[in-house]
Amino acid sequence: MNTILTIFKKELTDTLRDRRTIITMIVIPVLLFPIIFSVMTKIGESQAKKAKEKILRVTVIAPPEAADFYDILSKQDDITLVRGIPEDSITTFIRSDSLDGAYVFADNFAKRLRQERAGVVEMFYKTTDSNNITKNRLKTVLEKYQDILLEKRLEKYNLKKSFLKTVTIKSRDVATKREKFGKIVGGFMPYIFVIFCFMGAMYPAIDLGAGEKERGTIETLLTSPANRFQILVGKFMVVVVTGVASAAVSIFGLYLGVRQAVDIPQELMQVLSGVFETSALLMVLSLLLPLTIFFGGILLSLSVYARSFKEAQSLISPGTVLVILPAAVGLIPGITLNFVTALVPVLNVSLATKEIMAGTVDPLLLGVVYLSLIVYAGLSLWFCTYWFSKESVIFRS
Amino acid sequence: MIEVKDVRKTFKLSRQQRREMGEEFTGTTIDAVAGISFSCQPGRIFSLLGPNGAGKTTTLRMIATMLKPSSGSISVAGHDVVSNGRDVRRNLGFLTGTTGLYDRLTPNEIVKYYADLNGIDSATFKKRRDELFSRLGMEEFASRRISKLSTGMRQKVSIARTIIHDPSVIVFDEPTAGLDVIASKGIISLIREFREAGKTIIFSTHIMSEVSLLSDDLAIIHKGRLLYNGTYEAFEKNMKGRSLADEFIRLVEEAEK
Repeated sequence: MNTILTIFKKELTDTLRDRRTIITMIVIPVLLFPIIFSVMTKIGESQAKKAKEKILRVTVIAPPEAADFYDILSKQDDITLVRGIPEDSITTFIRSDSLDGAYVFADNFAKRLRQERAGVVEMFYKTTDSNNITKNRLKTVLEKYQDILLEKRLEKYNLKKSFLKTVTIKSRDVATKREKFGKIVGGFMPYIFVIFCFMGAMYPAIDLGAGEKERGTIETLLTSPANRFQILVGKFMVVVVTGVASAAVSIFGLYLGVRQAVDIPQELMQVLSGVFETSALLMVLSLLLPLTIFFGGILLSLSVYARSFKEAQSLISPGTVLVILPAAVGLIPGITLNFVTALVPVLNVSLATKEIMAGTVDPLLLGVVYLSLIVYAGLSLWFCTYWFSKESVIFRS
Repeated sequence: MIEVKDVRKTFKLSRQQRREMGEEFTGTTIDAVAGISFSCQPGRIFSLLGPNGAGKTTTLRMIATMLKPSSGSISVAGHDVVSNGRDVRRNLGFLTGTTGLYDRLTPNEIVKYYADLNGIDSATFKKRRDELFSRLGMEEFASRRISKLSTGMRQKVSIARTIIHDPSVIVFDEPTAGLDVIASKGIISLIREFREAGKTIIFSTHIMSEVSLLSDDLAIIHKGRLLYNGTYEAFEKNMKGRSLADEFIRLVEEAEK
């Protein structure tokens, strides 16, 4: 045990003095979330602000009976009326951004109103933003007009507007906000944690395996009294520590990001505070630990097999896809934790984290996730030990 | 004391390696070392001389427990390399000319690391460390990172690390490869000092001048077999060639026939 600790201490010191490790393990994870948050909120804000504040240029083609409509329009200070645009060129104008919208009243509009039927108004616009801000603003104006017409019609029969209302619907969604948003936003965060686990472990693994071969230090280490198993375990521990630390640091970065971004939606805030509950945090980290051991075994095996730093990188890079892919599958809505997905490494962590953050995790399934992760970690460690004892691997030429 | 008895080391060849061997070669394995025996005595320098690819490094790696012999036995300081590798390694120092060091650590840290791996207590370590560092002139750069050191300084660190646990057997695998004349001379005089101290020394080389400077005993290895094994004195006496180099070439050519 002393020997393992000696090796662990030395390898950790060596690793922490490597600038590349520090950058992938600490700098990027700390900064990523604050940057993502501020950029996203800034962009979102400015887009929404632009669409809301913009004065809409609108044209109207309507019969003289629709004077009330013109009245409403003229009272809207966020809309200017553009006159003299022929009906057949409205589409072209809007498409070319010379116009933002148009109302075209049907020829028989007034007649149909007199018959106490619905008159048709065509509303032209162009959807460019996902929030339909332009459409909604145009519609609001039309709805005001509709209200006025309705009131007039009802007055004739001495009726009030409330006469039309027979049922009032009150929706009560019993899903907690944490639940709703945990499953939406929650998918994205484990994805990041898993990737940092892998990335944080990657450089140390390459350096401690292939790097040792490339520098020619492996021979001296192998002729020290430490046996291969002790050497491997010492190195393994460093790889796992850096991987988990990197994920933990990214969680801390997430916290910083949240603190710094003031106007995060209330709901999101609630989910995030769910993540920062100590118990949820510990659960997520305890899932990441066996996962990192699993990664560590694969990474070190490849690294020890490689003859040089470069070769190790080219062996490991394609593996990144194998991590990103299942983690990304966890982002697809509808994919949930069940007895099958609980057995798929990476994906199970991604899905379980999502559930933990939403506060809806099934203890039985969580148990299955832990168990399968422990089995994978064990297999990976076993293989790596076997691999490290092979002469043809260590002295591969 | 090193005892090598009828040792053989067989490597499996990969498909590509087989192709590289040429068409006449039909086997799937190759004997890097094909049944060699010799012994190295305390207080004597044993030279293992041979061309590149002769099996020198494989032999030394087996002595140092990095590779397991396919057959035969090796004992180092009375311990078997296969069944008692740990005790072998406790009594052994291994130095190569190409030995790298950890760039981000300091000489102090590296030497301490190997002392800890050898389980040396801190009082003994301090004494040995101070002695070694002052003898090798390492104090002035003892706390500088390896990446900032010159080749000569690095070589000194390698030496200090190799012998911090005062091993009774020291293995030098082409120790002067890649060193300049001055650094090489330092190594040569160091090997002599170790002999005076009664240590068992084996070193491999393909440089003739080093052999004649240092050897008490000599083995010439070619294609995994020993062409000569005996004292250097006897070898010199019975030489048919004019120089060591001529005699070496003569022996190798004779073996090729």
